[in-house]
This record gives sequence, C-alpha cells and structure tokens, in this order.
Amino acid sequence: MGDSELAQIELFAEIDELLRRVREFVGTESAWEPLGHCRAILRRLLGRVETLRIRLEAPLVVATFGGTGVGKSSLVNALVGRESSRTGRQRPTTTLPVLIAHPDTNLDGLGLPLNEFEVARIDSPILRDIVVVDCPDPDTSEGETSGSNLTRLRKMLPHCDVLLFVSTQQKYRSARVGDELQQAAEGCRLLFVQTHADQDSDIREDWRRQLADKYAVPEVFFVDSLSALQDQQVGRRPSGDFARLQDLLTSRIAASQRIQVRRANLLDLIHAALLHCREHVTGNLPAIDRLEVALGEQSQKLHDAMTQRLREELVASQSLWERRLLTAVTERWGASPFSSILRVYSGLGNLLASASLWRARSSVQMALIGVVQGTRWLSSKQQEREAESNLQRVASSLGLEDDLLRESQFVLNGFLRDAKLTQLSSGTKTVQELRQEAARVESQFLGDAGQRIDGIVEEVAKQRSGPLIRAWYEVLLFSFVGFVLYRIVKSFFWDSLESPDKILPTHFYVNAGVIFVIWASLLVMLFTRRLRRGLQKQVDQLAAGLARQRIQQGLFPAWEEACRDIRAECQMLEGLAASAHLVRERIALPTQFGAAR
Amino acid sequence: MSSTYAACAEHVQHLHAAVRQLEVQSRLLQLAPLAGREWFELLERKLLPQLTDDAFLVVAVVGGTNIGKSVIFNHLAGCRASATSPFASGTKHPVCLVPPDFDQRHDLDSIFRGFELHQWSDANTALEDHPEHRLFWRTSEATPSNLLILDTPDIDGDVRVNWERADNIRRCADVLVAVLTQQKYNDAAVKQFFRKAAEEDKAVLVVFNQVLLPDDEEYWPIWLRTFCQETGVCPEFVYLAPADRRAAEENRLPFYVGQVGQVENLLQEKRKLKDDISSLRFHEIKLRTLRGSLHSVLHPETGVPAYLSEIERRGAEFQKVSDLVLTQKISKDDDWPPVPNLVIVQEVRLWWQQQREGLTKTVHDGFNAISRGLLGVYSLVRDRVAGKPTPPLDLFREREWQMIYNKVESVYERLCEFAELRNPLLQPRIEEMLSGISRSRLLELLKAEHNRIDFAQVIRDLVTAEMEAFRKDSPQVFQYMKWIDHGAAAVRPVTTFCLFITGAGPAGEMVNQVAANAMFYAAAELAGGTVAATVGESAISGAASTGAGLFEAHFRRLHIRFTAERTHWLHRMLAEHLYRAIPDELQAATVVPQSAAFQKVRDTIVVLESEVLASPGDTQNSEANHG
Repeated sequence: MGDSELAQIELFAEIDELLRRVREFVGTESAWEPLGHCRAILRRLLGRVETLRIRLEAPLVVATFGGTGVGKSSLVNALVGRESSRTGRQRPTTTLPVLIAHPDTNLDGLGLPLNEFEVARIDSPILRDIVVVDCPDPDTSEGETSGSNLTRLRKMLPHCDVLLFVSTQQKYRSARVGDELQQAAEGCRLLFVQTHADQDSDIREDWRRQLADKYAVPEVFFVDSLSALQDQQVGRRPSGDFARLQDLLTSRIAASQRIQVRRANLLDLIHAALLHCREHVTGNLPAIDRLEVALGEQSQKLHDAMTQRLREELVASQSLWERRLLTAVTERWGASPFSSILRVYSGLGNLLASASLWRARSSVQMALIGVVQGTRWLSSKQQEREAESNLQRVASSLGLEDDLLRESQFVLNGFLRDAKLTQLSSGTKTVQELRQEAARVESQFLGDAGQRIDGIVEEVAKQRSGPLIRAWYEVLLFSFVGFVLYRIVKSFFWDSLESPDKILPTHFYVNAGVIFVIWASLLVMLFTRRLRRGLQKQVDQLAAGLARQRIQQGLFPAWEEACRDIRAECQMLEGLAASAHLVRERIALPTQFGAAR
Repeated sequence: MSSTYAACAEHVQHLHAAVRQLEVQSRLLQLAPLAGREWFELLERKLLPQLTDDAFLVVAVVGGTNIGKSVIFNHLAGCRASATSPFASGTKHPVCLVPPDFDQRHDLDSIFRGFELHQWSDANTALEDHPEHRLFWRTSEATPSNLLILDTPDIDGDVRVNWERADNIRRCADVLVAVLTQQKYNDAAVKQFFRKAAEEDKAVLVVFNQVLLPDDEEYWPIWLRTFCQETGVCPEFVYLAPADRRAAEENRLPFYVGQVGQVENLLQEKRKLKDDISSLRFHEIKLRTLRGSLHSVLHPETGVPAYLSEIERRGAEFQKVSDLVLTQKISKDDDWPPVPNLVIVQEVRLWWQQQREGLTKTVHDGFNAISRGLLGVYSLVRDRVAGKPTPPLDLFREREWQMIYNKVESVYERLCEFAELRNPLLQPRIEEMLSGISRSRLLELLKAEHNRIDFAQVIRDLVTAEMEAFRKDSPQVFQYMKWIDHGAAAVRPVTTFCLFITGAGPAGEMVNQVAANAMFYAAAELAGGTVAATVGESAISGAASTGAGLFEAHFRRLHIRFTAERTHWLHRMLAEHLYRAIPDELQAATVVPQSAAFQKVRDTIVVLESEVLASPGDTQNSEANHG
C-alpha cells in the first residue's frame, strides 16, 4: 500500500468522522429555534450526502446548465458525436431532460428519477465513465410552476456531479441564469463553456471577470458545437478548445477521479451547509447573551436582597451570637475552672432558649446556631419541621417576597421571548413553585453563609481567648476561691485551736457562695462583652463577602442550563465548521474543474 | 384633441397632487411607497410631462443585454451615437437624440424625470458606471422634429440598476423598438418587460436581430407568434436584421420587413427603419399611449383604484387592531385594594377639627391632647412588646403595588395572545413591548412613579373635596352633626378616659382617637359602624336614612373615587410608558379613508374615467388594443 493510498484512506476516515459528528449533532434536540433550524438543514443535507455516498463509485453525472438557446443540446450532441438531444431554433427546445449513457452503464446505481428523463443509449467513448444529462433552461419560466422548465431543472440539479455551464455572448450576463447557478453550483464541480464560436466574439475575458467573485474558474472553453459535430460525423478529429473539453470529459474523469470529484462535492455541500448554519446561529446569539445577562442580574438581585436581610438578622440576634462564641471558647479551653463557669452559663442559656426563645424563628438564626448544633436540634425537631411548610417560611424569612420572584420571572420571560426560547417560557412557574425554587436558592445561600459564620465564630473565639486573657480570668476567678479557701483553712487549722468559737459560722459559706456567684457572673459578663465587641464590623464584612460571591444557581436553573447548552452546541457547530474547512483545504481538488468559492 | 389634452392635463395634475397628499396622510398605514408603483411612475413620468399640446413621440430601443440595441440605435441615428461593445451590459445610461430646437420648446428635465441630464459628448460616456441615473442627449439634425429617439440599458443583465433605468424610459416612451433574438425572444425577463408595455398600449416595432437568413425564414413567424402570445404585444411593423457583424459595425445593416404569410416578399422589401418611424401617425400614437397609460393608472386592479382600496382595507385592519388595543386598556378594577379606612377617618377628623370653633374647639383640642398623651404611653409599650407596626399607608402601598403588578401581568398576557395572532401591522411594536428590556424598564418606571406618590396628600385632597361637597349638599345634616359635636364636648372627659380604660385602647389606637371624637360615637349607630370599619377595616355596613347614613354614603363614595383615581393613574402610566403613541396612531390611521384627499382622488378618478376614457370612438380603440 503506497503512501498516497494511505493518505486517501486517512482522508476518507476524516470525512467519515466529520459526518459522524454532524449526525451526532443532528441527533440531539434543542429548545432553541435557530439551532432547530440548523438541525433541519443538516438533516436534509445528510439525506443528500447519503445518496452521494451510495453512488460514490458510480459514473459521474455531467449535466449542461445555461439559458435557452445557448446551445446546450448542440454541445451535448457534439460531445457524444451523435445527434442525441434535439436541437432547434425555437425557444425553449429541450423541456424534458435527456439522459445519455453508454449501453453498458448500469443506471440503477445512480439514484436518478429515471422516469423523468428521456433516456438515450449511445456507444460513445466519452460515455465510458460518465453519464451526460441535457437539462432544460432556467430562464424561460417566469416562476416555478409545476411542469415548468425551471421546476424540472431544479429537480435535476441535486443529482449532478459536474455542471457544464454553457453560455453565449448574448447570455453570459443574464441575471436569471446567474442567480440559478449560484444555487446549483453548491456541491458541484463546474466547467465553463462559451458556444457559438462561429458567430460570436470571444467574451471569455469579461465573463471570467464576472465569475471570479463567486467561482473558481480554471478555464473557459470557447467552442463551435456544430462544426465539431460535423467534424466527428465525417470522421475528423475535432480540434482546439472543443477537443480539450472532450478529452477532459473522456479520459481525465477516469474512475479514480470520480471519487475525488464526488468527495469534493460532498465536502463542499457539508461545508456550505455548516457555514450557513453557523451564520444563522451567530446572528441570533446576542439575544442569548442578553438573556444570560438578565438571568445574572436577576439572581444578583435575589442575592443582594438575601444578603441585606441576613445582615439585619445577624445584627439583631445578639444572644445567639453570644452563645455560639461561648461554646466555641469553652471547646477551645477544655476543662478549667473559668471555662466550666462559662459552660454552665451557656448551658443555662441554652436551656432557657430551648424552652422559649430559641425556637429558631428564622433560617438565619438557624445558620447562626451552627451546623453541628443545628443538625442536632434539627433531628429532634424533624417531624415538627416537616409538619409546617418550612420552605415557605424560609423563603419569606430572607426577603424573597413573592413580588420579587414574580417580577423576576416576568422580566425573564421577555428575554426568553427575545432569544426565541419560547418553548422554555411555557414552563412558567406558579408562585408555589417559585417559592420552592427560592427556598432551594436560599438554603444554598445559607449553606455558604453558615460556613462563613462558623469561620467568624472560630476566628473571634480564637482571637479573644488567648492564653493571656485566659490566665487573667482564671487568676481573677481563682483569687476569690483562693481567698475563701485561705479563710476556711486558716479558721479550721489555726483559729479553732485558739478558740473553738472562732471557727467560721455557716452563714460565711452561704455568703461566700452568693459572692462567688456574683463574682463569677461579673467575670462572665465582662468576658462575653469582650467577645461581642466589634461583632457589627464582622457582620458587615460577612455581608460584603457574601455580596461579592455569586449564587451558583439562580431561581431558574432550567433556563440557565438551557443557555449553557446552547453555548455548548454553538461551540460544537463552530468546531464542525472548522473541521469541514480543514478537511476541505487538505483534499486534493481536481484542478481542471471550477467550483463555487 | 388638443382641448382634451388641456382638460385631461388639469385633472391629471389634480390627481397627482391629491395622491401625493394622500400618501403623506396614509403614512401611518405602513403602505408601500408610491414611488415604484407602476401606475404612479406612469403618472409622473408619462402623463404629467407629456400631456401638452405640442405633441412629440418618444421612441426607445429596448431589449436584453448584448443583442445589438446600440447597433439598431446607431442605424436610427445614422451615426455612431452610442458605443457598441462585444461585452454585455455595455450601455448603462440612456442616450437620447433630440431634434433641433426641441430643448427650447420643451423641458427635457421634466420629460425624463429622475434622470440627471447630460449633454452628449462622446459615444463612450453612456458606458461609464455611475450610481445615479444619467441620460445623455444630443441634438441631431437627422432626427425628425417632434421625435425623441433613445438607446436604453438592458432589461435582463446582472446589473439590476440597468433594469430600473430601462423601465423608467419604457414608461415615458410612446414607441418601443423591441430588439429580439432567437436566443432571447422567449426569456422570462424580456416577456415581463414587454407585457407591461402592452398593458400601457405602447406602439411596438419588433426587430429580430442577428437572424440567420435564409435558414431562420421559417422560424421567425413562430418566434413572433410566441412573443405576441406571451406578452400581448401587437407590433406595428416587424423587421429582420441579418447576423452580419461587419454590416452592423459599418452601420449599414439591412432591415427586411417581415410580413407574416408573405415570406417570399421578405428579402425584396428592404426598408429604412427610421423612415417607417417617421411615417408613424404621431397624434394617433400619442393619444393611444397616453390613453393606455391613463388606463393603466385607472385600472381597477393595478391602478389608483387599487391603491384606494388598499388604503381602505388597511384602514379597516387598523380599525380592528385599534379596537383590540383599546379593549386591552379597559380591564376590571373591582378588586383594587381598599384604602385603609383608618387613614380616611383620620383625615376626616382633621377636616372636622378645622370646622370646630369657639368653646367646642377648645374643649376638643384639650382632650385630644390628653388622649394623645395616653396613647403615646400605650404605643410605647405596644412597640416594645409586639414590635413597631407598619404604617397603614405603607401597607397599602405594598398591596397596591401587588395589584399594579397583577394588572401589568395580565396586560402582558393579553399582549402575548395578541402577538400569537401575528398581526403584521403591529407585530414589530408588540414584539418590542414584549421584550425583556422593555419589561424591566416598565416595571422600574412604574415602581419609581408609584413610590413617588404621596398617598396622604391624595387622600387629603379627596376628603376635603368630598367633605366640602357634603357640607354644601346637606347643610342640615352638617349642622346636626355639629350640634352633636357640641354636646359631645360636654361629656368629653368621661369618654376619653372611660373608653381607654375599658379596653378600647388595646383594640387599636384609632379606636381611642375615634372614640375621642364626638361625631363618631355620639351618633351611636355610626360609632358602631366606624369602630367596626376601623378595627376590621371592612367597608362600612348598614345604610340608614339618618344623617349618619348620609355621611356614610359620602364615605363610601370616597372609597370609590379613590379607587377610580388610582386605576386612572395606572392607565395613564401604561399609556405613557407601554402603549405610548400606538392607540393615537391607530386612531389616526383608521380615519385616512374618510379624509378629504381620499375623496378628492376618488372624485378625480370618476371625472377622468367619464370625461377622457368614455368617448365612444376611443373605447373601440382601447378595446382593440387590449384585445
């Protein structure tokens, strides 16, 4: 196996891969109208590609194309060297397309609608590798009515591999023919022929200039079909441009070229379709941009409302803060006299709170209670919680009022409409569903907030409970205990020896106990005050931090998801177009042929 | 005929002016502009400039690209007036041959409206590419007087502006020299062009160029037949010009007269094209083409009448749309949130206080101060226990906003439904209204406007107006109330303290204030009602024929007036920020068919039809031409 053959196989594999990816792209569904449109186009394309692939090895279909009276039929006759398609001086002459093939050619493999042709079998050397079709003209019909030449022609064109674009001095700038060619040329190789060389001037230079914008024009043949046919009929070999044209069609489109031509056509088709799709989609993308911005704005609005509300609640819930901080500090300190005092205080507080105040009236307080205690509390209150429609309660607690939610949805519906995503907007949510979404957003938000609060608590507790401070409080507490102990010890061991009356009376212990409670309370108070100091600032910082953060999922995750999907699909389309372009660049084009640019 | 010209010219001018005016007025109907409509172009280019007594004929050589129009033209001119080239779409601007002194007698600019006129200097100038429509003219001694001969750009090439220029020349022409070839006689573009010419009753001379003689002798009658069948053209003469490039270049191409069925004569009769043209009966042709153009202008399906019915149809469509939009504006407002009675009562009280005078005023003011003091303490305690209550007006503002939002939403729902109908007239604007940006802008605007409203002031104004009306309408009742008030001043100490202590206070601070007010509790019936209204904030119940009942009626009317004012406000806002000019424009658009200009056009059509087209001899003529 030679290198070139290997390269061929590789190229085939690449085309197959490209087609597979196109098929995959077409296979998925999209809610977005422009993408749906692209899929419809590509689906049609795939159908046509399939027929092309089936007849990859079949003889090439070479068809004439051009205005009426330019000598299409004469050229065909001259090419096959025999009167096979009727020529005439009345316009139009040819109405039914004429298919001319070698008697040995099997026409079934071509996928042509044979009942719409006049079929002629001619044993001519030029027909060994090709099938020639003489097409009707595109310029006598004023509209595409059934049975008109234009209709017949358009039906024919998708089956053609090579178009012989035939024109004359009179017709080479005809607007109708030019417009029609532009559509026909997609997925076809082109050959350009000026006929009537016996009567007309050579206009190839001007013609080439005119064609250059839209087509690659390697060569324009200038032929006199009538004399070429006469030459052949008397057994002379034709000469000049005609001879070269005939030679090109006879020997140069050999079996190996067939595949090349068809492959080039196929790639042209895919490429053109993909480019068209990309253009269509890119034109519509700005609306998606706007939708995404709007979605972002709406979720930002929600986020801001929640942050504001959280801030207010946190500032208001002083006692909860205090308890969290105390718990954190005692956990850090472990067992020690002062920390036991703090623990007792905090435990008392918890007891009180659980009895009355600490019903965690809002989700913010819930977050403040902290994850650990919260879960503990939650599990105990699970049933109770489920009983009340908690979601609703949560939603209203963070300032996500129904109004805000509905207004968000209302505005976003407009953007969906702009973006042609109406399919999605039919899934408009009821207020109830909106609340649920809001609750989801909120719990997600509070999850973040809760972690941050935990962080703050940890940090504050750490800062304000250093060893020095701890030592201070321990010493202060111990100084009282020490003093009382000193008095007791002194009275028991020393004073009682002196005189049994001097032993401390019972009310001393009562007094000592009372004073101890007061002293301990004073210390606890001082300590908690210290802990609470600057909390406002911390809350502000927390709120600012949260405000900078974005919610992962807004109120309308389905819509956000749709936007992301659309972006991904556009990327995919972009990628397909790029690969098609690359493969098309690499493919070895049959240089004798022209094609649409 | 000259008198007919003058009369007709006047009517045509009227028609033109009226139609122009109508176009301006019907701007809102979003119709296609007049320029570009076949009948209007004919009116402007043919009828207006050519309805003069000094008749002249415009002869134009027309045809597809690169079939030798300029060659034929040069034969008519007798010299190389127009450049020829082997390449197609050569001639880009018309070239006109003008008889001597013609330009002194006529205004060429008005004859060739829309063209920039240039003196001919060189045969090649018409080949140059310019975006504007140019026309090159030269005086030619050889041109018969009263004859303008033109070479025109092609009608089927890829330079589309050429088509437009050729169409414009076709409109003002009387005689068309149709150059055809065997390749192009049946081309769609060619057929379309000449079909219009036939409709306008132009005189047509057919020249088959580049004929292969004698081979094509048997074919040209077939070509001619096909061409005539397809286009409706009835040529005055038919010529055959052989395919002889050298003769063409040397300006000595023979023109054989083609006569159907007399093929043998063909080659013998070689004629000068120009002589035939000169021999044409000017006035007859002129009259014919003017009449043909007028026919086209007045054609019921393609002329002015069609334009009028288009306006009427569009007007009716707009009427329908307008009705729809207007019904959009009207929506039920029964569920508008009621303004808190509390606030109204407060305002009524304030107003009443201003009505007091003398001792009564002093007593009431004094005790009001005391009750305010007591109330202050109560509020302080309550705020501590239950938190500060939302002020009633803020609550109302919130509720009203909800209502406004609901209304906006339902308006949008209906707009969406409307958009589904895909009415082409309003679709772009509705889509714009439904867009996300306009939605958020509308909500923001409404919200800002809504927050700006001082409800207290609105209610105060309403109450003052209503209470003044009450005082004026029923002075006896007012007086009666005042008497009660005086009496109440005497028992004020008891009521102020007792009501507070017996628990009326906790029922709501207003109860106390209301209770402290003689007018509301002295008339027992009314007091009950008001307390109920204040506490429960429901509508006042129980109508009575007493003075209190009358007062209550005013009270209820206050509510209705307030709601009406608020809904009116919303409608105004929606009109200002959402519908904007649409309803007005729709209204304006619907009345176009009733306008004076419309009537004028219609009248002029009738006059033109009866006076100019209906004379018996002419009908025959036109029938013959249209047949």
